Amino acid sequence: MRGFVPVDGAFEALLEPEEARVLASLADQLAGLLGEVADDAELVEADPALGRLLPDAYRDDPEAADEWRRLSRRGLAERKAGFAARLSADLADAAVASQTTRIRLDEAGAIDWMRAIGDLRLVLAERMDLADALTSPGGDEPSDETGKETDDDLERRSGMAELYDWLAWMQDDLVRALDRAAEAS
Amino acid sequence: MPALPAVPLVDEGVDVARRELHASEVPWQTVVWNDPVNLMSYVAWVFRRHFGMDAPTAEQRMLQVHHEGRAVVAEGNREAMERHVEAMHEYGLWATLERVPR
Repeated sequence: MRGFVPVDGAFEALLEPEEARVLASLADQLAGLLGEVADDAELVEADPALGRLLPDAYRDDPEAADEWRRLSRRGLAERKAGFAARLSADLADAAVASQTTRIRLDEAGAIDWMRAIGDLRLVLAERMDLADALTSPGGDEPSDETGKETDDDLERRSGMAELYDWLAWMQDDLVRALDRAAEAS
Repeated sequence: MPALPAVPLVDEGVDVARRELHASEVPWQTVVWNDPVNLMSYVAWVFRRHFGMDAPTAEQRMLQVHHEGRAVVAEGNREAMERHVEAMHEYGLWATLERVPR
């Protein structure tokens, strides 16, 4: 992928099938996670990643924070699930293609992508923190017995870190593309 | 047009400056908090897009969030600030609302 280019009020990029599959799979997982929250808002308390997607609106007023959660959290979760679902749907054709596919987004679509990509990075950041905590208890070297598992963990973590950076690049690229389009108009 | 009732809207003799403010008159503010995940370019873009800030203002607020840990991005009544906070959450930013300190 080379990045998005503004074209006649829309935004175009070329995606490889593998890129589209990875991104669509992440988007599906995110939509699933948020869909569960829309059904059961209590889940947010159990998963720190969800806490980052759906933070409290009041810091020092537990009562107001509680009411806010009751009134707003479900709707927010549904809208965020919608952004992720849109990302996934936009990638559907490219993900099953056998060659590079041109993706075309209107401005609203580009913004939904940026939101969903940002949410994915929030979740990945939380999962990587967790992976760090699991693989480096006190920063000690792994023992021989657990060495193999730790290698797997490290590999998974480096895979997540790579995705995290790739998503950062893509979100930044979309910001630039939107700015270029705004300057041109 | 009906004539206004001849009843004073504010009781004579009440010191307006000193009377208790009604809850809806207490100004609130929207605060955006620093997080290590959101990109600086994206945060500045959100400020331009949602609050209509010009580029230098958005950049300055974004840097304030980054360096000081938080920045006030809007002031007004509670309902308006709740809408801003919800919009910030939709963009994935970490925002809260609070009373303007007096």
